[in-house]
Amino acid sequence: MKRLQVGIESTTLANGLKVVIAPDTTAPVVTVGVYYKIGFRLEPQGRSGFAHLFEHMMFQGSANAPKMQHIKLINSSGGVLNGSTSYDVTNYYEAVPSNALERVLWLEADRMRALKVDDENLKNQRDVVKEEVRVNVMNQPYGGFPWLDMPPVAFRNWANAHNFYGDFADLDAADLKDVQAFFKTYYVPNNAVLLVLGDVKAEEGIALANKHFADIPAGAPPPFADPSEPEQNEERCGNVEEKFGTLPAMAIGYVMPKRRTADWCAMALLDQALHGGRAGRLHRELVLEKQIAVEADGGIDDIFGYNGPTQMTTRILHKPEYSSDAALTAFDVVIREVQQNGISVDELEQLKVKWRSDYYATLEGGRGGYMPKYGLMHLLACFTLFDNEPQLVNTILDGFLAVTREEIQAAAKKYLRNEKRAIVFRTPVNAGAKEAA
Amino acid sequence: MATRTVEVAIGVPGLSAERAVTWPKRTKAHLSNGLEVVLAEAHSIPKFHGELFFRSGNAAVADRAPGLAEMTATVVRTGTVKRASRQIEEDLRRIGADLSSNAGADTSAISFSGLSEFAEPLLGLVNELAREAAFPEAEFERERRQKLEEVKLERTQPGFLASERLRKVLFGAHPYAQVSPSEEQVAAYKREDLQKVYRDVHTPENGLLLLVGDFDSQAMMQNVEKVFGAWTGKKWETKTAASPAHPRGRRVYLVHVPGAVQTQILAGCHAITRKNPDWVKVGLTNSLYGGAFNSRLVMNIREDKGYTYSPRSGVHALRQHGYFSVSAAVRNDVVAASLTEIFYEMDKLRSLPVPEPELADAQNYLSGVFSMGLATQDGLLSQLSTVALNELPDDYLETYRAKVRAITPDELLATARKYLDSANMQIVVVGDRAQIESQAALFGELEVYNAQGKHIS
Repeated sequence: MKRLQVGIESTTLANGLKVVIAPDTTAPVVTVGVYYKIGFRLEPQGRSGFAHLFEHMMFQGSANAPKMQHIKLINSSGGVLNGSTSYDVTNYYEAVPSNALERVLWLEADRMRALKVDDENLKNQRDVVKEEVRVNVMNQPYGGFPWLDMPPVAFRNWANAHNFYGDFADLDAADLKDVQAFFKTYYVPNNAVLLVLGDVKAEEGIALANKHFADIPAGAPPPFADPSEPEQNEERCGNVEEKFGTLPAMAIGYVMPKRRTADWCAMALLDQALHGGRAGRLHRELVLEKQIAVEADGGIDDIFGYNGPTQMTTRILHKPEYSSDAALTAFDVVIREVQQNGISVDELEQLKVKWRSDYYATLEGGRGGYMPKYGLMHLLACFTLFDNEPQLVNTILDGFLAVTREEIQAAAKKYLRNEKRAIVFRTPVNAGAKEAA
Repeated sequence: MATRTVEVAIGVPGLSAERAVTWPKRTKAHLSNGLEVVLAEAHSIPKFHGELFFRSGNAAVADRAPGLAEMTATVVRTGTVKRASRQIEEDLRRIGADLSSNAGADTSAISFSGLSEFAEPLLGLVNELAREAAFPEAEFERERRQKLEEVKLERTQPGFLASERLRKVLFGAHPYAQVSPSEEQVAAYKREDLQKVYRDVHTPENGLLLLVGDFDSQAMMQNVEKVFGAWTGKKWETKTAASPAHPRGRRVYLVHVPGAVQTQILAGCHAITRKNPDWVKVGLTNSLYGGAFNSRLVMNIREDKGYTYSPRSGVHALRQHGYFSVSAAVRNDVVAASLTEIFYEMDKLRSLPVPEPELADAQNYLSGVFSMGLATQDGLLSQLSTVALNELPDDYLETYRAKVRAITPDELLATARKYLDSANMQIVVVGDRAQIESQAALFGELEVYNAQGKHIS
């Protein structure tokens, strides 16, 4: 068995900015990421969707690179860029020919140092974000299902339960003061990690990081609200209307154990046993064998990238001739089977080989062909911000490969319990695809 | 509304010397049975990616039924004479592999990736699927019922409805007009029809095997010879469908989705295939227009006006014909305003030479992004497949950047005039008729369809 070892150098600048370099000269391309340890989970109450709206504002201009210049300077260097907001981190990343490395670092440092945006920028991006929500959620069949529908049903703490894309009233209420306050609170070097991967020498990367970032003043340590949930002891259910699609749908989510525990590793493999594509038990049973469902998939969303309460979630679209009860019963049969009988030696071996193979694929790409090393960047960032241990990228696999059959069965019994789950039904308003006049 | 002044950045570090872009050596062979093989080493991770193409897809069998090659490909993975469906899926997992079997307009393909240590069993399974698919009756029935639900579901997606209508408008009676079968057509599929497509299409003379990854090319070629060498079968000669007429004059096609809270705009015109010598120029023109984040259209209707989240344009090369299209999902009250800007930017590129610095930026963008394909196994595979499937010259990858950089403002202007066919763009809008019809009608004679594809006025 050939193991992949990623060479990593890391350091912390005097202002608290963590820096991780992972050199690899395969291609003359360098991937740069800046991750801030703030996501939509801990955005301010009354400002749902703000962390994501703010992410858009980071492209609207900084002290020395006004609006449109960020995008222009990266594209015209032969590179691509983007950003994304998730539960506990927000990232900004670029992949460029390696001769543009210093320019990218200069741009990232400039916007970490000082955001320079005005009301017109905010209005513009508020409009853009609303169209993003419409195209991804409000105007799509099963839009936002279940990632936006599940949290308010499953969780009690506002941090975990609110609308992460944002209620439009909250987006409208956000003003420039909010933007600058959020920036000042969370976008400080001591709450971030800079990653440089690919065609760069370790010492060169660290020297450039020092050159461009060292003089950014540290901020006060950001305050973080407590995201923990009260213990769940009852099954929770909710209903959401489906405006466009004609198939009834449901999502079932079970609370996950704490990350980086033995239970967490066991749940990861159990997730593969249940949701691992066409070989997964749920797809096989519900789609291939019983043919109740048209889709049965899901799993643990971004297993390395969360730092608070989360779930393993199954998403089922089923045929209208079956009732929701029938579909849920079929789902429960699969869960009970693995609780009662566990998994075989052979199945466990398969799961481990697949897990290892998928892990390597994640490190290499992770966002299609256009963002080399996105996955490696993401893992290094999360292991640095959450664990202060980027080297975990080389050792984390061991925990998964050591999971036993007994641990998987025990995890199924302990975590896949009705009183630990939440169910959301998404019910079509017109099941017959009637055409309105 | 005044457009804000664009300010420039101050103190931007220059670019350092470029590192050479070196594409890996390709090892090519034609096996004695006619199978074309292209291998390239890429040692970034201990895995490899592959694709076994057949040069016939839905278009080649469109006279039998729309989407028949796709349905055939779907059922191929559900059983061979040696393995049942469940066995196939478990065997894939056992060697850490992913595999998909599908067909587009021009090709059918088995795509796969897996751990290098298990290359031989994975190639063995691919070989089995290509030669010994069994089309089990029960699997066929299940996949057909599954497909029925899928074709119903796609009619609720604005993006699908837009592209379906545009392809019909641009391609008329040509097979490229069909992006998906109807429910009735799916219901009429027969197992024997699929088996006939399978026999016709899946032959070594019709095939192209690409492998990229962590292996030794010489050893891999021996492996390929061992696994695929005994396969036989002739190239299947298909007739070429008559060229579609190019629609003249702007027309508007409204697909009515009651209650839509946004409008999907998609406009397009005929363009060119990958083989056309103008391809690189059209690519650069597209990149300036709406093919990059920094492009004129994105800066205008997103960054300046906030009408939309993800406007983009693209050139779509099918084997026989290509087309250019521009799309944006916009607020219902700015459909006319968005179309105005879409045409304004198009006409501007057709009227005025692009300033040299802007052209240089776009050239850098296109050549830089092209080289990203080097950094991942599947990125490289996708570049190699473009070259092989379109029978482009051997040095295509090596010379592409120089070709992009040689393009002048005058050439670009001529390209825009020739291919961004503003006067003959066909405009599709998918949304709520009551909210958008009068806006859309400003841009040409208007026809209205429902989501089932039925003409309603």
